[in-house]
Amino acid sequence: MARALGLPMTPEDLAEVTHRLNAFVDALAPLGELPSGGPEPVPAPVDPDRAA
Amino acid sequence: MTDRPDALAYLSATQLAARVRARELSPVDLVEHYLARIERFDRRLGAFVTVTADAAREAARRAEAEVVRGELRGPLHGVPFAVKDQFDTQGIRTTVGSRILDANVPAEDATVVARLKSAGAILLGKLNLSEFAFGGTVCFPFGQPRNPWHPDHQPGGSSGGSAVATAAALAAFTLGEDTGGSVRGPAAWCGCVGLRPTWGLVSRHGTFSVSWSMDTAGPLTRAVEDSALVLGVIAGYDPKDPLTSRRPLPDYRAAFGGDARGLRIGLILELVDGEGTHAEVRQAVRDAARTLEALGASVEDVSLPTSLVAGAVFMALCDSEGAARHQEWLRHRSADYDQGTRRRLLTASLLPAALYHQAQRARALIRQEILEAFQRYDLLVGPTRPTPAPAIGKEAEPVASAAGAARRFFGARADTTPFSLAGTPAISIPCGFSSAGLPIGLQLAGAPFTEPAIFRVAHAFERATAWHTRHPPL
Repeated sequence: MARALGLPMTPEDLAEVTHRLNAFVDALAPLGELPSGGPEPVPAPVDPDRAA
Repeated sequence: MTDRPDALAYLSATQLAARVRARELSPVDLVEHYLARIERFDRRLGAFVTVTADAAREAARRAEAEVVRGELRGPLHGVPFAVKDQFDTQGIRTTVGSRILDANVPAEDATVVARLKSAGAILLGKLNLSEFAFGGTVCFPFGQPRNPWHPDHQPGGSSGGSAVATAAALAAFTLGEDTGGSVRGPAAWCGCVGLRPTWGLVSRHGTFSVSWSMDTAGPLTRAVEDSALVLGVIAGYDPKDPLTSRRPLPDYRAAFGGDARGLRIGLILELVDGEGTHAEVRQAVRDAARTLEALGASVEDVSLPTSLVAGAVFMALCDSEGAARHQEWLRHRSADYDQGTRRRLLTASLLPAALYHQAQRARALIRQEILEAFQRYDLLVGPTRPTPAPAIGKEAEPVASAAGAARRFFGARADTTPFSLAGTPAISIPCGFSSAGLPIGLQLAGAPFTEPAIFRVAHAFERATAWHTRHPPL
């Protein structure tokens, strides 16, 4: 994937990036079981005054 | 060489400003005093990337002449400060801690810098930071910043230089930028006060972005009153940053002098008793909770289950936003990055979009859980960092497994990131020391725009304890 995106990566980078990506998968994949009726996933409180 | 007691350097910015106003203290002498301390101590501490001695001296002479004429610019007239090298400064190199920007000279000041200057403060220089304000830098291009309490230990990131300069009294106060804890964390590890204001309260114009949806400038100070003073100067609507609040600003120092009577405070169980929380940190925070009770607050345990995933959620979102900005440099100047920053950004570049959106949903739930807690509690408290400052070199240890990566990168951020994701304000104040003599920080968080309540309790805690009166053994 990195090659396809034109991102250079050393073998040492590759090993660590793999572990980091797996850590994200392990941590975030279970979030698929979060309640689906919850709040919409807006990226941020875009208007700080309305968010308060 | 050891630091002799230096009462002047360790005065609060509020006290220094009062002395300048009363013509008891010359801005020229004060600037020279801090420049001498920088010259004496910073070779070992590594707090500064650039010292602007000549410009500071010139500004001090101007400030002194204005005092003589009775023309005070504002509440920080003649008070020397320094800023993280993430904020643009007109005509002064702004590296953001990276070789890639080592020749970057902005044409104008960031809004926060301009406002501090307009209030009369005098810029001493630019402060060291983790590369591009991401944590996890292994090799700092402009020198390793060191914890003034123990030079073999980290000061924290990313506003490490700001915390070092504040704790070691190399300036009256400093400015940092907090995305996931970059002001609060270094403040905790260096034993000073670090504020993350409500997202949108302070302009981001002229601040190199880490993550647009969480970046917030905030002061690092040696006293809570200074945090309120500086916030009153830098906060408020800025037409150059359309995402700043238009609310009128309160007098942030108005609540000082009270106690915590009548306030309901929730002690966050997942953070206090988390498996990664050091026993001495847990004890210091429990002791601090008892102090808050003695000050009249009602303190009870509260559970925030979503805080357990906040570190991972934060990094998925923050790093993805960052990686988008860094794509061209990652392709063409990969070798110019520190290995820690490069691997963090490469990881985010490859993160599946489905996981990114899971993180966005989780963010909404974390925010909802926190805002609901603020229906029941005025403030939430917990540790700022789960451990005291680790030794320098820890970041260079290889990552050997996914579990190891999760512990190192997600666990260390668990305490501060819930409030970053929620956009709510939080402050770190000193609440103890480890047996190794390293500072421990207490985090107090409130609902959006409740900085006055946070300051009230933090100030009462500060007056009831003596942690902030200790100075590092330079």
